[in-house]
Amino acid sequence: MISKEITEMTLAAGAAAVAAAETDSAAVNKALETLKTYDWGADRNTLNPIDEAIIATHGDAAARKALEKSLVAALAAGISRSAQDYVCRKLRVVGTAQSVEALAALLADETTSHIARYALERIPDEKALDAIRDALPKVSGKLKVGMIGSLGTRRDEKSIMAFSKLLGDSDIQVAKTAAQSLGLIGTSAAAKELSKFAKKAPANMKMPIGDACLVCAEQLLAKGKKSEAVALYKELQGDDQPKRIKVAAMKGMLTAATER
Amino acid sequence: MANQKSKPTKDPGTSLGRRTFLKAAAGAVALPYFIPASALGKDGNTAPSSRIVMAGIGIGNMGGGDQGAFLGRGDVQYVAMCDVKKNVCDGSVNRINQKYGNNDCKGYNDFREIMARDDIDAVHCATPDHWHAIIVIEACRNGKDIYCQKPETRTLREGRLMIEAARRYGRVVSGGSQRVLEDYRGTVNACWNGDKGIVKSINVNVGPFPMDCNLKGEPVPDGFDWDRWLGPAPWAPYHPYRCSGSYNINGTSWRSFKDYSGGGMTDWGAHHFGGATFAIDVRELEPEEVIFHNENGKKFATCRYPNGKLLHHNYPGRGNLDVEGTNEKGPSKPVPGYAGSGGIYGDFIDCVKTRRRPFRDIEFAVHTATVCHLFLIAYELERSLKWDTAKQQFVDDDEANRLVDYGRREPWVL
Repeated sequence: MISKEITEMTLAAGAAAVAAAETDSAAVNKALETLKTYDWGADRNTLNPIDEAIIATHGDAAARKALEKSLVAALAAGISRSAQDYVCRKLRVVGTAQSVEALAALLADETTSHIARYALERIPDEKALDAIRDALPKVSGKLKVGMIGSLGTRRDEKSIMAFSKLLGDSDIQVAKTAAQSLGLIGTSAAAKELSKFAKKAPANMKMPIGDACLVCAEQLLAKGKKSEAVALYKELQGDDQPKRIKVAAMKGMLTAATER
Repeated sequence: MANQKSKPTKDPGTSLGRRTFLKAAAGAVALPYFIPASALGKDGNTAPSSRIVMAGIGIGNMGGGDQGAFLGRGDVQYVAMCDVKKNVCDGSVNRINQKYGNNDCKGYNDFREIMARDDIDAVHCATPDHWHAIIVIEACRNGKDIYCQKPETRTLREGRLMIEAARRYGRVVSGGSQRVLEDYRGTVNACWNGDKGIVKSINVNVGPFPMDCNLKGEPVPDGFDWDRWLGPAPWAPYHPYRCSGSYNINGTSWRSFKDYSGGGMTDWGAHHFGGATFAIDVRELEPEEVIFHNENGKKFATCRYPNGKLLHHNYPGRGNLDVEGTNEKGPSKPVPGYAGSGGIYGDFIDCVKTRRRPFRDIEFAVHTATVCHLFLIAYELERSLKWDTAKQQFVDDDEANRLVDYGRREPWVL
């Protein structure tokens, strides 16, 4: 009974999606033109045709590419901060390798770095990660922290060695975020770097490194790498470890012991 | 883990932690203030050494209410409050110090200073939604239990990270919707008592959707740390409507805007969907599909659970919390409830003491928020989506997967 109802619902929903796939190109062009003068306080509804076109062009690669190209052109042409904000939000959804260069150009600027990452972090194409990775050595402080965070969220294995070096950074926020991202990456190679640093971590890095090791160990366990996970947990049993980390590591070992 | 059946159990490997409060209280005796006998544990009140030492973060409308509820309890001792609006923070600190008759409670602008204090056992968080995940996870890392206002998450990714942090460190983490248990008792009891027979579906009517915000900037008021209010959200100029804690969801409050909230879909959805998933007993599950409908311009959607139960949103012709069942008498089962006394707040405090999972355990709360986010994404993309509960990803839909999370503004990361 329920499965029949679901089948009927799914068919109806599919038909509706096809019917909705219509784009008003004149309205879209007008909205794209509006972007040139769009600023804080402007009526957001004037950009709605672009939003609608994104929905309507789903599954139409050529139309999508054209729409993305128009958005990238607007971004590269020099528009207000508010208009940049809008375009980056849209590229978060429709951006491809085609968008990366224009977004990467915003990464080193303190006023636009985040909104560029807002798009780049969610673009699946490897070039988006390349752009953030390439920008990493050129920035410092908060911008560096943000980029490390984005690469960690994407579990970028190519960043492991760069993050390993940053574990000893004099900027404690950079060092902490590098540890956190290595934990998120959660591979054997990431575990190796965390483990190496854990043995010499200064007092203010004990907790971040311990936390990252726990996260990493959980991921190794989930991937079936039980012995590597247990080895990491065991390293967190030392007397120099914060009590919370030791307790959590013991709990992790008990979990590992029950895993097949 | 999040989608497996799990009964609320006592967490191993945890302890109540510190009691340096005694030391602080001893110092306070030397100060020229009158200490009420109640604060010293006389007249049948809880002695300081047995109280839960507490802090509050985000003390606006909901946070002020939470503070009032916890402050009225004899087994809680506040020592710190945090808000990015100095006048709000000062007001909450004064309220506490007046109650205790001392100056021991301190105010903070940066929640991380509260997290760094080893004397604090538990915190409550009622910041705007875009801050919840960062604060909850940081609390767990720092060995603190936490009561977090609803809706607990801003994105799908946040939820799993919050559950994992809670379990990793064995913390008590409670979501914040009291209405889940208290507002829908009739529906819940009918379902759990077997009066509806085999439940097939339930409907929730709730809205509106969140909107983008392009309000023009105004000068930031004195004493308001605007940058910290924005936190992980994209930078935007200050406007009073952008950050107002008003309960209106019409463009005059942060609850209206996508960067900080899921609009009515999450704000009221946390209550309604929480009640609905409780009623049809799918709190331990996440949906594996959301089906988008557009019938002659009338848009509505349905979440389907792995056990076949359906959760509709705005289904035409059906009322809020309307249950569809086979209507023959079915088996009954006991309805879960709060521990301790004092509603959802008492439940949290009792669980802090006993180390049991609260009624609104973070896993259940996240599952409710997940429903809200799945609906929001399906409506935004106007298509049906399949959700892989184990991988926490949409199936074969890269575009939808981009909406599972967002890149946070530096220096905030998750």
